[in-house]
Amino acid sequence: MSIQISNINKRFDNFVALDNINLTIPDGELVALLGPSGSGKTTLLRIIAGLEEADSGTIYFNGEDTTATHVRDRGVGFVFQHYALFRHMSVFENVAFGLRVRPKATRPSEEEINERVHKLLKLIQLDWIANRYPSQLSGGQRQRVALARALAVEPKVLLLDEPFGALDAKVRQELRQWLRSLHDEIHITSVFVTHDQEEALEVSDKIVVMNQGKIEQIGTPEEVYDRPTNPFVYSFLGNVNLFHARVEQGSLHLENTELNTPDLGSSKEASLFVRPHEIHISIDNALGGGIEAKLIGWRLVGPRVRVELETVHAHQKVEAEISKGEWQAIKAHENDTLFVHFSNARIYTNEASWNDYVI
Amino acid sequence: MKWQLRKPSVLPGFGLTLGFSLTYVTLLVLIPLGGLLLYTTKLSWNEFGAVILDPRVLASFKLSFGASLIAAVINLFFGLIVAWTLSRYNFFGKKIVDALVDLPFALPTAVAGIALAAIFASNGWIGALLEPLGIQIAYSRAGVVVALVFIGLPFVVRTVQPVIEEFEKEFEEASTSLGASWWQTFSRVILPSLMPALLTGFALSFARALGEYGSIIFISSNMPFVSEIVPLIIVTKLSQFDYVGATAVGTVMLLATFVILFLINAIQIYSREKSL
Amino acid sequence: MQTEHRLEPRWLKPLLLGTTLLFLAIFLALPLGVVFSEALAKGWKVYWASITEPDAIAAIKLTLLVVLITVPLNTVFGVATAWLIAKFEFRGKGLLITLIDLPFAVSPVIAGLIFVLLFGSQGWFGAWLSEHDIRIVFATPGIILATLFITSPFVAREIIPLMQEQGKDEEESALTLGASGWQTFWKVTLPNIKWGLLYGVILSNARAMGEFGAVAVVSGHIRGMTTTMPLHVEILYGEYLFTAAFAVASLLTLLALVTLVLKSFIEWRIGKKRLLAH
Repeated sequence: MSIQISNINKRFDNFVALDNINLTIPDGELVALLGPSGSGKTTLLRIIAGLEEADSGTIYFNGEDTTATHVRDRGVGFVFQHYALFRHMSVFENVAFGLRVRPKATRPSEEEINERVHKLLKLIQLDWIANRYPSQLSGGQRQRVALARALAVEPKVLLLDEPFGALDAKVRQELRQWLRSLHDEIHITSVFVTHDQEEALEVSDKIVVMNQGKIEQIGTPEEVYDRPTNPFVYSFLGNVNLFHARVEQGSLHLENTELNTPDLGSSKEASLFVRPHEIHISIDNALGGGIEAKLIGWRLVGPRVRVELETVHAHQKVEAEISKGEWQAIKAHENDTLFVHFSNARIYTNEASWNDYVI
Repeated sequence: MKWQLRKPSVLPGFGLTLGFSLTYVTLLVLIPLGGLLLYTTKLSWNEFGAVILDPRVLASFKLSFGASLIAAVINLFFGLIVAWTLSRYNFFGKKIVDALVDLPFALPTAVAGIALAAIFASNGWIGALLEPLGIQIAYSRAGVVVALVFIGLPFVVRTVQPVIEEFEKEFEEASTSLGASWWQTFSRVILPSLMPALLTGFALSFARALGEYGSIIFISSNMPFVSEIVPLIIVTKLSQFDYVGATAVGTVMLLATFVILFLINAIQIYSREKSL
Repeated sequence: MQTEHRLEPRWLKPLLLGTTLLFLAIFLALPLGVVFSEALAKGWKVYWASITEPDAIAAIKLTLLVVLITVPLNTVFGVATAWLIAKFEFRGKGLLITLIDLPFAVSPVIAGLIFVLLFGSQGWFGAWLSEHDIRIVFATPGIILATLFITSPFVAREIIPLMQEQGKDEEESALTLGASGWQTFWKVTLPNIKWGLLYGVILSNARAMGEFGAVAVVSGHIRGMTTTMPLHVEILYGEYLFTAAFAVASLLTLLALVTLVLKSFIEWRIGKKRLLAH
C-alpha cells in the first residue's frame, strides 16, 4: 500500500510543527523519517496514523483519501516508543487483542486467533514466552511483542515511533538488523521515526530528512549521505568540519591557501564542509596547498586515530580521522605545526548550490 | 548469618527513636487494644454468642454492613467519574473543586451529620424536593447511606486519581489503533489498570463507613431494628454500663476492620508485583 | 491538546463533567452552604450570642486545651517514628508501621471504648483509680487520651513517605562533614520535610478539634465541663437549638476550610505532589 502525503500543515499554538509537507511513500518500502527533536517527524507519523489531526492537507492510502478516517478504521499498525504493551495481559493476549475486539461478524474463531498469534510469535522468535506478562520481558522482547501485536491486525502500513529509542546499544543493533530482515520477509509499507542517523542509514530503503517542520531531502541512504543537498543534511548525517571562506574573483580564500573556483563567481561567502575522514595530515606540505594547523591532541579509536588540530590563522578547531599507519608516519608532538589537506570537500555558497572539490 | 536487629547504619538516633516510638505505640495503641481483647475473655462463648446473636444487635450488623456496602458501591461509581473528570478534563474552577473533594476528611463528622440532616430533612433544600415524590431520606435508612457516601467520598477519588493521571495516553492510542472501540478500550485496557486502585479505594471507603458514628446519628432516626448502627449499639451499651456487651460487639467490629486491612494490603502487594 | 483525533466519544466529557459537578454539589457544596445559612438564619446578633455564651466558650477552651496537648505530642512521635522508619532497616519494621496506622482504621467509637475498658468504673484500672480519686473517663484526661489515640498516625503518615523518598544520602554526607546527629536533624532533615510536617500538624489539629465519636464515648457530656466543640454542637442540636448548633458548627467548618486552603497552598509550594489527606 502506498502512502501519499499532500500539503500537510500542523501548528501547535505558535509553533509550526509541519510546514506544507509533500511526500510519497511507495508500496512495500521501509522509510525512515530522520531529524532532530522538534523537526516534526513524530507529528507527521502520528498524522499518517490518524492519532493526530492535521490543520490542512490530505493523506492518501493507495490513492484513497483517508484524512477523515478514524485511527480505529484506518488499518495502520502503530508501534509506540515505549511499547504500550497492556500490563495486565499476557504476551499472547496482547497480540490477540486486535483480533478479539473485532465486531462479531469479522472476529476470527478462537482456534484461528490461537493459530495466528502463535504464527506471529514464531515470526518474532518469542513463541516460548506466550504466557508471560510484559513486566517479565526484556526491553528488546517487549519491542518485538509490540511489533507482533501491531502486525496481528494485518495492517496496510506499519508505523514505528522511535522503535529502538529506549533500548541499550547492543540490543538496538540486533533489533535493527532483525527489523530489516523482517521487512524483507513481509514487505509491508513501513515508516519509522528516528533521530539516529546511523539507524536510518542502516535499516531503511529511503530516508526523509526533516528539520523545523520541513523536508530537507529525500533519498536512498547513499544519496543522502554522499550527496546532501544542503548544509543541514550534511551536518546532520555524520561528523563534519565547517570552514568559512570568501570567494573573490574566481578563487576561494581559506586561511593561508587559495583555490581556483572559476564557476563560483565572485564576492561571496562560502561554507566548506569536510568530513573527518576526508582530511589528510602532512608535516611538510609536500603536496602544497595545505592549511597550517597546530596539533592539539589525539585519541585512538579502534583502528583509527582521531586527531584534533587548530588552524594557525583563524584558530579554528579541525577534527581529522586517519589510519594508524598514517598517524605513525607523521610522528608529531603536541603543539607541532602540521598541514591539513582535504581529499574531498563540499562548498556551499549563499546561493545554496554545491560543488565537490579536491583541494 | 548472624541474627541482627538492624542493618548497620552510621546515622544516629536508632535507639532513641526506637525506644520512644515503641513506648508510645505500646502505651497508646497496644495496651488499650489488648485490653479490649483481654476483656473479651471475661465472656464465655455462650455469653458472647448471646450478645452477638441478640436480634437487635444482628439487625444493627445487617444495617451497618449493608449501608456501608451500598455507600462504598456508590462511591466506587461516582468516585471513578469524579477522579476521571478531575484528571482528564480542564474546566473553570477545577482547582477549587479538586480541593473541595477533601472536605469530608477535614470537616468534623458531627458538623457533616447536622448539615446533611438539614439538607435532606423534609423541609430541607433537597428533602423538600423529594418529599412530594414520597422519598424520605433523613431519619431513615437511606439517610445512613447518604452520610456514609459523604464520609467515604474522597477515598476512591484520591486513590484512583493519581493512577488515571499517570496512565499513559499511549495505551489508549495503541488499543484504538488496533481497532478497539472506545468502550472496548475502556473496559479491556483502562479499567483493568485502575482495578487495584478502585478496589483499594472501595475497601477504604467501606472500612471507614463501617466504623462511622458521628455523622450518622444526626441523620438517622436511630431506631432499634430499623436504623440503629453498630457503633451506636456500643455507645448505648456503654451508657448502660454494659461493658461486657459493648466489648463483645466492639471485638467483632475490630476483627472486621482487621480483615479489611488485610485485604487492602493483599491488593496492594498483588498490584505492585504485577506492575513491576 | 484538542487537536488529537478524539479517542473518546464527544458526549463523554459533558456527561462526566456534569455528573461530577452535580454529585459534588449535592454532597459537598450544599452541606457547606447549609451550615452557614442555618447559622446566620436569625442574624449576626444571635450568631454572636451563640458562640459567646459561657458553655460555648468553655467548649472552645476545652477543645483548644486538647489540641495544645495532643498536637505537640503527636508531632514529636511522628517525627521520631518517621526518622526510625525512613532511616533504618530493622526487624519488625512492617509490624511497627501497621501498629502506627492502626488507629486510623479503628472505629472512633472503639477508640473511646478501649479507654473506658481501661479506666472506666468497671475497667481494668477502675477500682484502683477510684480508690485514689483519679478521674480519667468522663473527664478531661480521657478526652485527651482518646484524641491522642485517634490523631497519632497523622504526622507520621504524612512525613514517612517524604523521608523515605529523600533517602539518607544527605544525612550521611552531613555526618561526613562533621555535623553532630542533632545538627544533621535540624539543619538537613527538618528543612527537607518542613512542608509535609506542617501539613501533618494542620491535619492532626483539624482532626483533634473535630473528633466526635471517640470523645463522645469517654466524655460523659457534662455541659461546660467535658464537652468539646463537636459535643457542644450535639447537645445544642439535641435540644433543638438549631441556630446555636449551626453557629458553633460554622466555626468548625471554617477550620475545615482553612485546612483545605493550607493543603492546597502546601501542595503548590512543594510542587505538584499530592499530599495524603487522611
